[in-house]
Amino acid sequence: MRLPRLRTTFPLGAPTWPDGVERPPLAGRTGLDYDTAWARRYGARVARAVFVDDVLRPLINAVGSPDVHGLDRLADLDETAIFAANHHSHLDTGVILTSLPARWRHKTVVAAASDTFFATRAMSAFSALTIGAIPIERHRVNRRSSDLVAALLGEGWSLIIFPEGGRSPDGWAREFRGGAAYLAVKCVRPVVPVYIEGTRGVLKKGQTLPAGIANPFRRGGPVKVNFGKPMRPVEGEDARRFAVRIQDAIAELGDEWSTDWWSARRRAAAGRTPGLGGPTASPWRRAWRLEEGRRAPAGAKSWP
Amino acid sequence: MKERTSRSGGREGPESGGTRPGFVLEVDRSTPPVLFHSGESFHLERLPVGSRVVYPSEPLNPLADPDGAIRHALLNPLGDSKPLPALLHSGMRLTIAFDDISLPLPPMCKPDNRQRVIEAVLDLAADAGVDDVVLIAALALHRRMTEAELRHMLGDRIYDAFAPSGALLQHDAEDPDGMLLIGQTAEGETVEINKRAATSDLIVYVNINLVAMDGGHKSVATGLASYKSLRHHHNVQTMQHSRSFMDQHRSELHSSNWRMGRLLAAEGIKIFQIETTLNTDTFPKAFSFLQKREWEWSARDRLSYLATSKSLERVPPRLARQIFQGIDSPQKLTSVQAGEVEAVHVATTDEVYRQHMVAVDGQADILTMGLPYICPYNVNSIMNPILVACLGLGYFFNLYRGKPLVREGGVVIMSHPTPWEFNPVHHPSYIDFFEQVLAETTDPAEIEAKFEQDFATDPWYIHLYRTSYAYHGVHPFYMWYWCAHALQHLAGVIVVGGNPKAVRRLGFKPASTLRDALEMAEDVVGGDPSITHLHNPPILMADVT
Amino acid sequence: MKALVVSRSLPRYAAAKVAGALAPSFSARLGPLGLSEIDEPELPGADWKRVYPALSGICGSDLATVEGRSSRYFEPIVSFPFVPGHEVVGRLDDGQRVVIEPVLGCAARALIPPCRACAEGRSDNCERVAFGHLQPGLQTGYCADTGGGWSTALVAHESQIHVVPDEMSDEAAVMVEPAACATHGALAADPGGGTVLVVGGGTLGLCTVAALRRFTTPATLIVSAKHPDQRRLARDLGADIVVAPNEARRAVRRATGSLEIGDSLSGGADLVIDCVGSQSSIADDLLLTRAGGTVVLVGMPGHVLVDLTPLWHRQINLRGSYAYGEEGPGTGNRRTFDLAFELVAHAGLDRLVSATYPLDRYRDAIDHAANAGPRGAVKVVFDVRGEKHR
Repeated sequence: MRLPRLRTTFPLGAPTWPDGVERPPLAGRTGLDYDTAWARRYGARVARAVFVDDVLRPLINAVGSPDVHGLDRLADLDETAIFAANHHSHLDTGVILTSLPARWRHKTVVAAASDTFFATRAMSAFSALTIGAIPIERHRVNRRSSDLVAALLGEGWSLIIFPEGGRSPDGWAREFRGGAAYLAVKCVRPVVPVYIEGTRGVLKKGQTLPAGIANPFRRGGPVKVNFGKPMRPVEGEDARRFAVRIQDAIAELGDEWSTDWWSARRRAAAGRTPGLGGPTASPWRRAWRLEEGRRAPAGAKSWP
Repeated sequence: MKERTSRSGGREGPESGGTRPGFVLEVDRSTPPVLFHSGESFHLERLPVGSRVVYPSEPLNPLADPDGAIRHALLNPLGDSKPLPALLHSGMRLTIAFDDISLPLPPMCKPDNRQRVIEAVLDLAADAGVDDVVLIAALALHRRMTEAELRHMLGDRIYDAFAPSGALLQHDAEDPDGMLLIGQTAEGETVEINKRAATSDLIVYVNINLVAMDGGHKSVATGLASYKSLRHHHNVQTMQHSRSFMDQHRSELHSSNWRMGRLLAAEGIKIFQIETTLNTDTFPKAFSFLQKREWEWSARDRLSYLATSKSLERVPPRLARQIFQGIDSPQKLTSVQAGEVEAVHVATTDEVYRQHMVAVDGQADILTMGLPYICPYNVNSIMNPILVACLGLGYFFNLYRGKPLVREGGVVIMSHPTPWEFNPVHHPSYIDFFEQVLAETTDPAEIEAKFEQDFATDPWYIHLYRTSYAYHGVHPFYMWYWCAHALQHLAGVIVVGGNPKAVRRLGFKPASTLRDALEMAEDVVGGDPSITHLHNPPILMADVT
Repeated sequence: MKALVVSRSLPRYAAAKVAGALAPSFSARLGPLGLSEIDEPELPGADWKRVYPALSGICGSDLATVEGRSSRYFEPIVSFPFVPGHEVVGRLDDGQRVVIEPVLGCAARALIPPCRACAEGRSDNCERVAFGHLQPGLQTGYCADTGGGWSTALVAHESQIHVVPDEMSDEAAVMVEPAACATHGALAADPGGGTVLVVGGGTLGLCTVAALRRFTTPATLIVSAKHPDQRRLARDLGADIVVAPNEARRAVRRATGSLEIGDSLSGGADLVIDCVGSQSSIADDLLLTRAGGTVVLVGMPGHVLVDLTPLWHRQINLRGSYAYGEEGPGTGNRRTFDLAFELVAHAGLDRLVSATYPLDRYRDAIDHAANAGPRGAVKVVFDVRGEKHR
């Protein structure tokens, strides 16, 4: 469902730019160039902590009631880390943020696409303030972003990043890009693989309002989050290969959800973990597969 | 890095300059009052000048990378064992047995050692393609655990993977089809253990060695055994000849278990033993004053002592119990050993001693001790009078090597409220034992001869043990046998602050204050007695010369 | 003569009933009992004798009367005003010491021919306790014509008189009547070699324990008694397992190797002898008796509200036990009183007499008897030996 858009015309609305007049270049203060340092100062942090704990968390619980597993695997992790997750929905960021243990929750920044989250000044400020977003390019990590991340990781900040570079269009993951792995190698930080499932059912790409709010009778599926064991690049491993390993780890975490840990471990050992990318087949079959777990089992009766 | 130092700097000890060993303090006029645990409470008591207080060592530094250490131990076993991956192969039957909820105390924060170790073992088993894996909680005759308890100790991943398919079992010593008679030792002791374990190609035993009596051959030979087998070492005779049962070289209990363990090995039952030790970082931050030396209490410690002890006096006992049973201990892994049982246990025992042992010179006339709210058999339950006796005279009294802290004919004074209260689900046979057996006699030998058989074979207790969450019918007897050495050694036992009726039923004497108790004790041991106070927990073991 | 008399006075009964619920000592003060100076009872016939009481016990049923608790059932079989006291040892005019068997059956009432029960020697079942030349009264101590033990003189029919052997003390002799009640209850059903539970540790309970030990052979004899002194005595008198009332279920379960089914047991005691007779004790009895077992009520029950489903489902025999008569062939058809004499002497039941009071201090005596358990007493008796005879 879409919100009715309020159409306003000049002079109530902003004037349109005549085609014949050349636009001056953007002042360089949005997108990648937006400086988010203010959002990490004390006042902003307090405001964000309040927002995350008292607004975002109840909201996420209401629309997705996340089921969080695997936090015990972080018990020995006592440093900053890069949380790398698969990506279905705008909710993912909120779900991870609110399910992180307290020692990371309020000192975490989120790598957000500069073209979406930092498109305008207002949007940039909102992203930086509410979720601690920092601008990053979708498909590569440029020098400036990586330096910023390295500095932040050293200063006690952790990072949430979605290595796919964007939300999944069809529910299956896309190829992981090397960004997370590259940053991990560069900054010598562990990567925590995070598997998320079910956020698509609440708010998928293209939707404006979460399912539960748009239509109170239709709740999104329960959201599932599974944190994996922190990973570090092994001796001589480059970012590309590490990225593959991260993707495999997240796939295994997903496999854990669909079956159980022991079965997933055995499939992983045998190299038969189902990939995140889904079957190579026609779109309908891919969509069909995705819905398999969701369809009501035969014989199940709905109320009354 | 800044973050790291600031966080770990918050807790005293490990990383800041090593840990101090335990020691014996002689009380002088400027010694502050000493902390006594007393069930779900504690108080400060001024001991007479000249008394000695045995303080435990501070918690040892934990392992920096526990999972790495576990993996290393599995790949580099002790004794004549091959590395674990070499023992695992596709198509084999693998049984992983693990200690039950009686260890550690209090239950540790997640993740529990057992979760870490079993996940590491299963990782290797998955790599080797092992399909037939069963997990068995080595309960012996203890109560079964609830789902929540199992999830706490194994983690959700293991529980969800094994419990639904029935591959996560709790040992049932009364299952007629579930036990296998292995044979008899040279001394004629029957050895009968869990059939699934006995018929496996490999048993991996995962233990938590909280105190020196745990582990070794006792793990399988006791944890997976039945009453038929246990009665050979869980009896009055054995316990009176175990001096103490914490010192395996002078313990008849251990000799018997070792004979049984060797028989198992001789019968071709392969055991890969994994033992872990913990430091004594027993209490979470809110209660950290409980493990500090009184003269080092900061203003904050004093405040939290006052706040907690005063408020505990006012809350109903039920609530106080709930609060304390909710404590998860921050204790950390200090070592992990794997491989052949005996070689592993030598190394483990050294580690336990390193943390617990405190040298004490000479015995005292009177031994005082404050009994805390928990013992191995009342996790998430009620510490009933029998368990009070067992904790004091069974466990604390026996925490010695060489000779007891108190001389023969001496007196033990322990503080505990000793309520006449039982958990009817966990301890049904305890109630009957207390009401019907102890009402008649408190002599362990007479109790054993007259009542044990009857309780051990009572169908109702067996039913509850198998299907509910009850300790076996014979278990209260073992608690009483645990006290047998102390009862034989001592001339009197005084309980400070206990329910007088319950204390008398136990055959002990009630006293309302420590001062009264000391005067009563003087009547027994003579004037101007020497006094030693066991400042435990955190756990310590006295090396008495 | 001096006598404690119960008169028919509705207001006083009501007052006693209210007061009894609060404090028994008040009921003695307000109730229908009072100390009076009355005439000695006339001899109703030639075969009657005058008895001068020495000791006279206070029984549970006496307390019920004094406190206004007794059942309306008794109304037609008592006659007012009466002198209570049916546990009597006294002397005849010739100095002979006697104990009275208080039931006023056909023989005492000079009914010829006697009723069926009396003809068989079972005077406890006499059908004519309200008829004949005596006023109604089931026993001496409830009849206006005979007087009772709480006075200096009463009359007794020859058939009621049992001579006390010389070697037996007055204290022992006064226990013969309660011991006979207990013996009758103990022999009401044969426990065989089974488990017997005796509920209650008062006079009747303790005498029942002694009687079971003396005349039957139960495998396990369990006693549940409220007070520590009662438990000690029960153990001395031969109980195998002695427990507090709230422990009884567990004791029976363990002794019989039963399983628990909710509040009930899969098995249970073969025989339960209830010497309390309260609503809750009877309800518990039914849950602790095995299917086909027997519950004997020795204690006087009165009005109770009890779920009889277990009685129905487990086919339990529930029976009462009143007084004494002639026991079965197992004892050679002996009179209960003869057995009781033997029992008192053999088990030393004179130790159960805890306190004696003169008639003047009857309020204290009633109070003591009503609180016997908590005060560590068992049987409280009036000592009339010191009273002057007119």
